[in-house]
Amino acid sequence: MAITLQRWPIVGRRSELEIFERALCSGEQAGLVIYGRAGVGKTRLADECREWAAAGGHPTERVAGSLAISALPLGAVAGLLAGGLGRAGPDGQVDTLGLFEETRQALRERHQGRRVVTVADDVSELDPASLALLGHLAAQGTIFLIATVRTGEPVPDLVTGLWRDGRMERIDLGDLSRTQLDTLLHLALGGPIEAGAGREFWDITAGNPLYVRELVLGALESGALVERSGVWHLEDRLSGTNRLLDLVEQRIGGLSAGERSVVELLALCQPLELSYLEAAAPSGELESLERAGLVTIAFADGEVRLAHPLHGEVVRGAMPKLRARRILLAEADRLEAVNEALGPASLRIAVWRLDAGGRPDPAVLVRGAQLARHAHDFRVVRRLIEAVPGGERDAVAALLLGEALYELGDFDGSERVLAAGQELPASEQVALRLAVTRAKNANWGLCEPQQALAINARARTVVTSPAFTEELVADEASILMFSGHPGQSLTVLERIAGDDLRTRVVRAIVAAVALAATGHTAEAVGVAETGYAEHVALGDELAIAHPATHVVNQVFALAEAGRLAEAEQLARAGAEIVATYRIPIAQIWFAANLGRVATLQGRMATARRYFAEAAGLAQANHFAGPRRMALTGLALAHAMLGDASAAAAALAERAALPEFGFLSPEQRLADAWTAVASRQPMEAKRYLSDGAAEAAATMHRVAESWLLHDLMRVGRQDTSARLGELAAVCDSPLVAARARHAAAVAARNADELGAAADGFEAMGAMLLAAEAAAGAADVFQRAGEQRAATAALRRSQELAAACEGATTPALFYAAAHEPLSRREREIAMLAAEGMASKDIAERLYLSVRTVDNHLQRVYTKLGVTNRADLAKALGSSS
Amino acid sequence: MTPEQITLVQLSFAGLGPRVPDVTARFYQELFERAPELRPLFPTDMAELQVQFATKLTEIVHSIPRLDMLLSHTRALGARHAAYGVRAADYDTVGGALLDALAAVIGDSFDGPIREAWAIAYNLVAETMLEGAASARPIGS
Repeated sequence: MAITLQRWPIVGRRSELEIFERALCSGEQAGLVIYGRAGVGKTRLADECREWAAAGGHPTERVAGSLAISALPLGAVAGLLAGGLGRAGPDGQVDTLGLFEETRQALRERHQGRRVVTVADDVSELDPASLALLGHLAAQGTIFLIATVRTGEPVPDLVTGLWRDGRMERIDLGDLSRTQLDTLLHLALGGPIEAGAGREFWDITAGNPLYVRELVLGALESGALVERSGVWHLEDRLSGTNRLLDLVEQRIGGLSAGERSVVELLALCQPLELSYLEAAAPSGELESLERAGLVTIAFADGEVRLAHPLHGEVVRGAMPKLRARRILLAEADRLEAVNEALGPASLRIAVWRLDAGGRPDPAVLVRGAQLARHAHDFRVVRRLIEAVPGGERDAVAALLLGEALYELGDFDGSERVLAAGQELPASEQVALRLAVTRAKNANWGLCEPQQALAINARARTVVTSPAFTEELVADEASILMFSGHPGQSLTVLERIAGDDLRTRVVRAIVAAVALAATGHTAEAVGVAETGYAEHVALGDELAIAHPATHVVNQVFALAEAGRLAEAEQLARAGAEIVATYRIPIAQIWFAANLGRVATLQGRMATARRYFAEAAGLAQANHFAGPRRMALTGLALAHAMLGDASAAAAALAERAALPEFGFLSPEQRLADAWTAVASRQPMEAKRYLSDGAAEAAATMHRVAESWLLHDLMRVGRQDTSARLGELAAVCDSPLVAARARHAAAVAARNADELGAAADGFEAMGAMLLAAEAAAGAADVFQRAGEQRAATAALRRSQELAAACEGATTPALFYAAAHEPLSRREREIAMLAAEGMASKDIAERLYLSVRTVDNHLQRVYTKLGVTNRADLAKALGSSS
Repeated sequence: MTPEQITLVQLSFAGLGPRVPDVTARFYQELFERAPELRPLFPTDMAELQVQFATKLTEIVHSIPRLDMLLSHTRALGARHAAYGVRAADYDTVGGALLDALAAVIGDSFDGPIREAWAIAYNLVAETMLEGAASARPIGS
């Protein structure tokens, strides 16, 4: 029974195929995602789906992510691209959406409007631009996407987004059961197998289908697995290795030289044309490789690929670099000879040349960088532009590189590249963007706001059109805002008269923060929301921040308004998105804002975690300013958790960084609370007063209210008058709540303190609520209202329980005032249950007299006179 | 499958002798208990169908040692059932019903190894039927 494995059987996947069928035919679903471990059969299932669809007359395509082709944007999906790589406008940008639309319409025309079933294998390895295109096509119903994701790999936003909207079916693929493995072996071998051999396959593979396949094909080739009288036997032990990769390596290692060449060519450049490979390997190598299950041939489109991504990984890993280089360059020459410049194939060619350390066409590299910029893939932008020889870089290339270097934290490099770029001939738009980017780098990266303002001023000599001048004004406002002058920033913003979309977006980036910091929080939230929507509608453009900036601003504005739950939710969603796109600066801001929100919520351990994350990210990416702010938050969290030395260490780390003006008054909070934790209350008060004065001078109103409120919390200083003024000019409920709290403390009004606690609690500011409740308890206590005092204290303790171990002076005070001793509480609880003094005495081995004495004290402390009231008092406080 | 398992299936089936119709009757009873919604798909009078089922079961059991022969039965059978609207999930229901019917008729000797052999045999038959079904049925039909 000679076995001819034209096709390795598929077992245990029929239900999954029917899920695909239903999703495809429903018309509602945009795709299907297949999750699972390596070798579980994701690729095979995806291809099976595709072939079933093809047999039913559906057009199909296949794209695959791999590290080898991830370098160039859209490289992986070059096969879908209809014509060239888009066009660049006068501002040096590519109309990416236009390119996507062209691609969509070309696909529709080519396939008469039928959806193209498109397999995207290892979708996590695709570049962001390819993902964006696939997302666009899937959402528009032009393709039906079948994506595979290896367990442990990040799931691209495209997939999670469609899935969340209910437009993506999900399949979790697992290993085969023992029964399914037996069926697979039976079908693959074409007959029964002896019991010991079957067991050995199970023991080694644990049902991993690829493992089974490699092991069976390897054993057949080596002669370990033989057929006698219709039954398969193992003559030799199976390969000893229990690692799938080792097994694949052994299989590849056994190939002839000619077969190996074909496999290497495919590992670097697949898919390749069948006719070309037949000519390149004329001695039947392709046939033997197909028989060995190492390559698959799609006769319909005449393309040859390796059977599994793992084969490619192994082959590339084992290939000498020089050999890979020779193959890549030869293939690039071959394809270049028959393809047009800036056509779809030019991407593949450029990638091969790059991977080979060769010199690709600079035009293709710049176009690739523009596409990568659109997808915020700055690492790729840097790699591509740096591959363009220095002398051939124009102003657009300098802009792309300078911006990428800034985003990636190389500020000195960015300054060099952008300064040089400003010397090159450029359109007014490009000149504008060079200036704005250079100023941003100076302010944020180099922490030199004066230099940034000078760059901004000089740019007005070359940028003179009104529309562009206004952008420079917005930029000036931005420099002022983020160097600690929200008031001046708002004044400068008023000079902007234009109302086109772009100007509004640019204005919004600054206005949202300045409005929030000066206490116009509702307007700030609105500006940020609109700014985001308009930024997205505008399509992203060079030199303006990522649209996520508006989301960061909205989080900040929500926090300043005390809308903490909303702020937290939004920040978490934003953090997830920017993590996918790997935009360090946005990741830092989301983490820092999450820390700030957690601080306001009183969740101090959570705050510590987020600030530590932000500080780490900022350090790794060399952002001194944001790192300074993260360290401020970290010291504050440590101090409020009572760890004075950790707080001091964070402050020492901060002291080594350059000054950074953004929200600078708030930076004093950390010094103050560290002093509190170090038992230096006078120092603390001085820091808070200084900070509040600076905030007042620069119109950081919300920050000022925070500092003054803390002055009251820490130093028992009456700041209620100024807090009241701030509440009157700010619309922020948080500022109002702080003022109310301070006024209640000053007036020693327990009911008002209770109401302040309610207000903080409703906002989710649990630590402040706990402190206000403790304050109420104190006032009640001094007024001799024991019961009310106990209830308020109990409430304070409940609220403080949400604060993850925060220890502030006000809470410390509350803890010291627990009215009942442990023994008193024990007796009171039993009495409240209705137990007589005699029984309590017996249970606790006390005299009746002692029990009665304790109870009498309890009555006095709680202000009750009988057991019924006792139960109520305990009930309300337990 | 192992040669021993094939022998166990064939011997236990041969041992049924004249009780094969009992198995088929019991099988449909078990099936409709598990999936009452399937009952309307079958004729009211099941006698003829039960005879057909018994014949097919016998053919399949006899062809197990030869995969090519087995496939010639099961692929066509799968294609026919696809046309009736039978889908992958239904095969689990049918398998459970068949095994329990065999257990009920064969009795105590339908123990661990025999039951396992039947389960593996059924999985092989089901997979090959489904393969035949997929080849015969265009997507979305």
